[in-house]
Amino acid sequence: MISDVAQYLVTSLSLGGLYALMALGLIIVYGILKLINFAYGELVMVAGYGLLIFGRSPWPWIIVAILSVICAVIAALLMERIAFRPVRHASPTTMLITSFAVSALLQNLALLTISPRPQVPRLPSIFIRNLTFRGIRIDVLDLSGLIVSILALIALTVFLRRTVIGLSLRAAADDFTMTRLMGVRANMVIAAAFAISGFMAGIVALFWIGNARSTTPTIGLEPVLIAFIASVVGGMSSLKGAVVGGYVLGFLTIGLQTWLPQEVNAYRNAVLFGIVIVVLLLRPDGIIRPAYSREAR
Amino acid sequence: MSGSSFELKPLLARISTPAILASIVIVIAAIATLRNDIVFERVVTVMFIHLLLVVALQAFMGNSGLGSFGQYAFVLIGAYSSIWFSLSPDQKNLALPDMPQTWWLYEQHTSFLVAAVMGGLTALLVGGLLGIALVRLRGASFTIATFAFLIVIHSVALQWRQVTRGSRTVLGIPQYTTLWDAALWAIVAIVIVYAFKESTIGLKLRASREDEDAASSVGVNVKLMRWMAWSLSVFLSGFGGALWAHFIQQFSPQSFYLKETFLIIAMLVIGGSGSVSGATIGAIAVALSSEGMRQIENWWNLNRQTGTRVGEFLPFQLIGFTEIVIAISMILVLILRPTGIMAGRELRGPRRKSGGSGPKPELAVDGSNPVPEPNL
Amino acid sequence: MSLLEVADLHVRYGAIVAVRGVSLRVEEGEAVGLIGVNGAGKSTTMSAIMGVVKPERGSVVFAGESLVGVPPEAVIRKGLAPVMEGRRIFPTLTVEENLKIGAATVKDKEQIAADIEKWSTFFPVLKERLGKPAGTLSGGQQQMLAVARAMMSRPTMVLMDEPSLGLSPKLVGEIFDLIRQLRELGMSILLVEQNVRMTLDVVDRVYLLSTGKVDFEGTPAELRARGDVERAYLHGTSSATKPAVQ
Repeated sequence: MISDVAQYLVTSLSLGGLYALMALGLIIVYGILKLINFAYGELVMVAGYGLLIFGRSPWPWIIVAILSVICAVIAALLMERIAFRPVRHASPTTMLITSFAVSALLQNLALLTISPRPQVPRLPSIFIRNLTFRGIRIDVLDLSGLIVSILALIALTVFLRRTVIGLSLRAAADDFTMTRLMGVRANMVIAAAFAISGFMAGIVALFWIGNARSTTPTIGLEPVLIAFIASVVGGMSSLKGAVVGGYVLGFLTIGLQTWLPQEVNAYRNAVLFGIVIVVLLLRPDGIIRPAYSREAR
Repeated sequence: MSGSSFELKPLLARISTPAILASIVIVIAAIATLRNDIVFERVVTVMFIHLLLVVALQAFMGNSGLGSFGQYAFVLIGAYSSIWFSLSPDQKNLALPDMPQTWWLYEQHTSFLVAAVMGGLTALLVGGLLGIALVRLRGASFTIATFAFLIVIHSVALQWRQVTRGSRTVLGIPQYTTLWDAALWAIVAIVIVYAFKESTIGLKLRASREDEDAASSVGVNVKLMRWMAWSLSVFLSGFGGALWAHFIQQFSPQSFYLKETFLIIAMLVIGGSGSVSGATIGAIAVALSSEGMRQIENWWNLNRQTGTRVGEFLPFQLIGFTEIVIAISMILVLILRPTGIMAGRELRGPRRKSGGSGPKPELAVDGSNPVPEPNL
Repeated sequence: MSLLEVADLHVRYGAIVAVRGVSLRVEEGEAVGLIGVNGAGKSTTMSAIMGVVKPERGSVVFAGESLVGVPPEAVIRKGLAPVMEGRRIFPTLTVEENLKIGAATVKDKEQIAADIEKWSTFFPVLKERLGKPAGTLSGGQQQMLAVARAMMSRPTMVLMDEPSLGLSPKLVGEIFDLIRQLRELGMSILLVEQNVRMTLDVVDRVYLLSTGKVDFEGTPAELRARGDVERAYLHGTSSATKPAVQ
């Protein structure tokens, strides 16, 4: 019983942490540009193929992982520079449609240049092991997901609070024009937001693909959908909300899987996206309001 | 608008656009018939159904200025609900084996046209109710909500085996939609949507796009008009789904998802969401050029597989090439010409100029709208 | 040569021409007022100087360099700092972080620390609240923060847009005292205001805008001498109209 609870906690915290990172990657860009980046999932895909390609090298896996995350960051920066910068001043709907096109483009590029079939990248063997601690069995993949997601959250918090770019990012989310009038370069802030977005997607990819054990051109779809739900539930306007939304969704997902019968779980997506619609209708700003005193600090 | 035939002008001006668009459809249908090439005929039929769907989407997006990613939810509803009616109980045993024989629906067996209308009405029932709630939303929230709805419908369709056969393909649907049926209904959709656009409701709705609060303050019920445009779009989408189902004959929930959504939105964006002509031209341009590219793909892959002399020089298999070209074109249009090919204008017939500036080309692109309508 | 010279400035928002041929100058160390009723084009002139809106025509020259086409983020580097209408502080950032971002163009960390100390001493209410989110400050405190933030870049000139807007009469007095103090520090100031009476007390020269044009230019004494202006602007019965629609 205790073992079950511990396992539930670890799995939920791990999944919730990854969901939180996904939502953060989406919201950090949205907060500044008001762009809901549909192509965010394809950054996960890019990192996934990074694992595949660099995995063929003799380098240790950790190097492969770092290079893959870097690939996602570069892809995010390129995406911004090529597709989103020219439509930066267009309506949010136009930007959303642009990101939809970018998503389709990247998926089909993967289809063309790699393969439509699932590819199995090199993953560390430790990912499939589990630890037993006082009779409690915990998967290494879950535990490492839990730890890495918390580390990434801490790193982001420190970055946003302690660095000039982090400060500029937070200021830009409050008032972009005023931030520019303070002498902060718009291109720099937006590029930084995309770089963070790519970083988050890259980190998520390591565990997402570690769990799926293969990568496909459409591997990014589910992560981006989860990021949507978590961000909408979390408020669309606050980083803290995105994190809360991610963890809530993580606990909910594992909870439903554990305790609800299979037939009900089959409708999970319908229920979750139904919730998204209801949340949007009830409060277009999401559940957590951007209260000044409680904002991501 | 200058012209001596003052009396005739409004009527001519009113019908010239749908007439031109209808003639384009008819000419293409005629060419397809004359070529007597089954594959090409299939391509054109599907194109006409897509054309209908793009025009349906334009009815909403072009007039309200809101983006919808949820159209294929209604195409799905229209496709499935039409086969509930068009299939006989015996056919249902085969196509929808999980539908309980005790159901009222199981006994139904109507003509194709009634079934297609039922498809549209079912979509309207679901979409109309959803629309009551959704019209409150603005901008990206609206788009995300419609996208969420697509996923809701998709996952319900995957699970509700009694009415959809779940994730498995429904087979054995009779083919009712012919090339000329598709052409006819595409033209009907063009006429309806154009009439809606030019109606008082359409005009007021487009005027409200700029400033909803200002429009509301002068007594324009923006939400009601938005709902009407949405309902029209939803009904036509469901109807289009029924046409498609009875042409393609087999499908699964996977046939109504992101790829399909992307294609329809690409057609509308490339053609220009501001006008019915934009929707029509976009659908035709994208469909025909995709077909061209698909032939290149096939030629390439065939040469490679059979190892012909050309094939040896082709390093990889060509998959996704068509979609890449569409996606790039779409991004380029959004960046360079956000109003699309037609830039919010309609195709109009030749006009007599009082100044005698000479005859206009047959398909004059009317510039009567000096300020191009904002995209979307 | 003047520090700031605006000549024949035209700004248009779609069909609406908000500014039609405004010319003005600010000398070094001078405080200049830009007054007029709502919609006279004051804030638009200011936004055009800061690069937030693009002028249709005309020139803006600051310290010998043209500012036309210069993006907003570059204007402050030339020594021109804004205090925008509505204060526009960053509500989720702390007071201290607001000051830090005001020094975004400053590389020297010690200078930033010294300036934070200097301006928070200048405004003791800010010093007490350095670690608090700026959104929790009162309107008057936010205005002081906006001014202090502008000072962090060590500008040669500050543009202030309606600093007294929405403040209680007591706070309005404090804000104008602050402007006086800034003048004494040698700061050049372009002050956009609706509170004409108070403005005339603190500026060297004044421009009166109406319907996007300069209606009057001169010293406060000269303006007071003009009876019609006195009636229209000092006693609140406005005869000016909305911006013209072409």
